[in-house]
Amino acid sequence: MAERHKVDARGAFCPGPLMELIATLRHAEIGDEVEIWSTDTGSAKDIPEWVKKVRHELVAVNETDGYWSIVVRKAK
Amino acid sequence: MACIPLYILLCSGEHEKLQMAAMIASVGAVSERPVEVFVSMGALAAFAAGVAPAERYRGGAFSVLMREKRAPDALTLLRQGRELGELKMWACSMALDLHGWEMERLVEGLFDGPLGLTKFLSDAETGQLVTF
Repeated sequence: MAERHKVDARGAFCPGPLMELIATLRHAEIGDEVEIWSTDTGSAKDIPEWVKKVRHELVAVNETDGYWSIVVRKAK
Repeated sequence: MACIPLYILLCSGEHEKLQMAAMIASVGAVSERPVEVFVSMGALAAFAAGVAPAERYRGGAFSVLMREKRAPDALTLLRQGRELGELKMWACSMALDLHGWEMERLVEGLFDGPLGLTKFLSDAETGQLVTF
């Protein structure tokens, strides 16, 4: 059964949140989701762009209480 | 579609240039783009083994800001790029000779080996070259 992994990268500067996301995805199973929290404004556009480029799936991008919550599903 | 390889010629040891080169190299590598970094001139000293971050990263006000705010460490970014993507790093053989250094004087596990400029430039004809 697919799992959701949570990564709190709040306070990390670019490209820290992206690197943390990728490191977590690497150890996840296909179909698992990774929810990453980031206060880095660039993450809201950088992470979706990376997801599109490497062909994973973007599930959600939301701004909540001063930080971004971005959910990515591992597709391969 | 295959990505055009990215070749980074890193000559400056100034912290903000080193940081930008490390960011581009690591993000490029994890984005399925082959990246090669050729470290030469003053930049090589920033990769000496056994050096504290305060000594390794030298520069102006922005360097101080990056250290105060704990921006990602440049060498850590390069290690992540190597671990998570296709990133090769080469130490300029001329700069090594000028320092009188062998590869063992550089931080462990980051470089693929020494390389001459001619070989790097020849390889770089197949991709995009960026200089710092």
